[in-house]
Amino acid sequence: MGFEQDFEPLALDELHGFAESRRAEGWRYVQTLAVLTDEGIDLVYSFMKGGHLANHVVPIARDAEVPSISDVFLAAFVFENEIHDLFGVAIKGIAIDFEGNFYQLANEAPMTILSPEQAAAREKAKKAAAVKAAKEQGVAPEADDMEAKLAAMDPKKAAKVRAAMEAKAKKEAAAKEAEIEGKLKDMDSEKAAKVRAAMEAKAKKAASRAEGGE
Amino acid sequence: MGSFRLGGMTLGSLFKRPETLRYPFEVKEPPQGLKGHIVNDVSRCIVCGICARVCPAGALAVDKKARTWAIDPFRCVQCASCVAACPKGCLTMAPEATGVAAERYDVVLEVPEQPKGAEAA
Amino acid sequence: MGKATIIPFGPQHPVLPEPLHLDLVVEDETVIDCIPQIGFVHRGLEKLVETRDYNQFIYIAERICGICAMGHSLGYAETVEELMGVEVPKRAEYLRVIWHELSRIHSHLLWLGLAADAFGFESMFMHCWRLRERILDIFEKTTGGRVILSVVKVGGVARDIDGAMMQGILATLDGIRSDYSALMKTLLTDTSIKNRTVGVGTIGYDEAVALSMVGPFARASAVNYDVRSFGRGAYGDLADFQPILDNQGDCYARVKVRCLEVLQSIDIIRELAAKMPAGDIAVAVKGSPAAGAQASNVLEQPRGECYYYARGNGTKHLDRMRMRTPTSQNLAGMATALKGCDLADVNMIILTIDPCISCTER
Repeated sequence: MGFEQDFEPLALDELHGFAESRRAEGWRYVQTLAVLTDEGIDLVYSFMKGGHLANHVVPIARDAEVPSISDVFLAAFVFENEIHDLFGVAIKGIAIDFEGNFYQLANEAPMTILSPEQAAAREKAKKAAAVKAAKEQGVAPEADDMEAKLAAMDPKKAAKVRAAMEAKAKKEAAAKEAEIEGKLKDMDSEKAAKVRAAMEAKAKKAASRAEGGE
Repeated sequence: MGSFRLGGMTLGSLFKRPETLRYPFEVKEPPQGLKGHIVNDVSRCIVCGICARVCPAGALAVDKKARTWAIDPFRCVQCASCVAACPKGCLTMAPEATGVAAERYDVVLEVPEQPKGAEAA
Repeated sequence: MGKATIIPFGPQHPVLPEPLHLDLVVEDETVIDCIPQIGFVHRGLEKLVETRDYNQFIYIAERICGICAMGHSLGYAETVEELMGVEVPKRAEYLRVIWHELSRIHSHLLWLGLAADAFGFESMFMHCWRLRERILDIFEKTTGGRVILSVVKVGGVARDIDGAMMQGILATLDGIRSDYSALMKTLLTDTSIKNRTVGVGTIGYDEAVALSMVGPFARASAVNYDVRSFGRGAYGDLADFQPILDNQGDCYARVKVRCLEVLQSIDIIRELAAKMPAGDIAVAVKGSPAAGAQASNVLEQPRGECYYYARGNGTKHLDRMRMRTPTSQNLAGMATALKGCDLADVNMIILTIDPCISCTER
């Protein structure tokens, strides 16, 4: 028996009818989970039959009302109570309903609260992805041309040229670092430490990328 | 009533060695490779801070300016990520576990300056 | 006609290994309804994906539960590998499965001890845990940790088992097998144990399917479902794998299924040790999961099927990591099994679903 999985979208108003048809066809209910997204919340319902795991993604708004499927599959009541407590999604008609007391939580819907560092990291990742997509469409000629030229050249000369390029890059980086050090001295010490850590991370990444390229 | 089914095992245990050790008079030898506590060979450390970045528990603190390497042994979860991530291989995991203590403490090590020639080795 | 009383059971109870609260509606010593309540060990571990990147999170995934530690780290690593499209070397897959099967043996021995303790057979509890110590010694020698192994990482495993150590493991398992046969015979043929477990908490096949039960709890009611039969990873190289089933559906059947699974795991380890390929034990994993990428994964833990889900967002931190444990799936089955039983049988029935409440609540 092989195993395969897939992800398919499903609309909220089809959910209950879909669950009933799955039970009639002999599919086994696996789980329900919720994911926080920018637009709202994604609910993922999974069913399995034979070796096929079918995950269905139901995008909803944060204040949407969701019908419970615990009348079709009783085992769903655990997950629906959990989603109600952790994400604040209103699910109507749960078979055993704890009405918000399933987990004793300090905050309401804690999984929807993003810490500021995480929000900042996700913003940064989105910006970096947008920049990368834009660059891929508008070709970056200098890097590709150099590589083509180096490949065509004599290997010893190519090594010398590469060494010269690296030295130049290092000198530029050192000059930039000296400039930034000057700025950091004036900055607040905690911020300076953070900037330093970020610079080191960038340098490490650049080094590993260079190694990977060679 | 039924037969005394565990009789063989019970009578046999009168004559076999017991499975327990009389701790603290007999102490079990920790096997090699047991994840006990982190040891840093400071002669090879270059204070890069990579170990502090990969630590999932936030137990390591590396100060590049002051050239110190500190570990909070009670925060460490003995995962050995730092041992695997260290570029110079100066971190190792010794088999003895950190003993119980009445107060928490940090282990702070001074990292001496590397002589220029030796770093290339 | 009796009067209905509500007896609160737990969360502190000498028989339960973990905090679980039940409101038992009792009428003259017979339980007519049961309302479970969990939430006493909710630690919010799934939210920690926001502060730990995908390499660091594996150490948190391990610490969700002490008994299923290897299972959770393995499932998490497999899910992230699927998310990022990483192919793990064959030798690493074999090593992971060997440690996972050892984990299954230790978990079932732990459970058999607790089940014996539930009806008062304390010396059986001590004997089972004495055998379990030998497995924990194997873990200590091969991975460096007794309970939390920290040996699986995204991309492979961190340590290798060489030929001499493998022979040592197989010799220890043979020693366990001979001692374990005496214990198993006692558990399955002793009259007092049979009086406490036969016919107690019966769940039939149709009800088991309707309640979506998983694991040995379901296999004792003849539901033929075991993730290992999908043949993924090293399980695909087994000559013949048949899940152990029983069609009685009562507590005795569940004890029997778990007893036989221990022997099956010893056979699996022996077979895989003979077929182990040489090669690398890990591949380097670089980069981060793509934004919007999703992956799911199922794994047969000692308690049943565990479902994992991961979603990436382009950074080194995952967007969402979710572990759906077998016990949360079986809670509905447990609530149903408790209806109509005697008050004295409540312990036994709760224990036969092998509750791991720490896993359920994360």
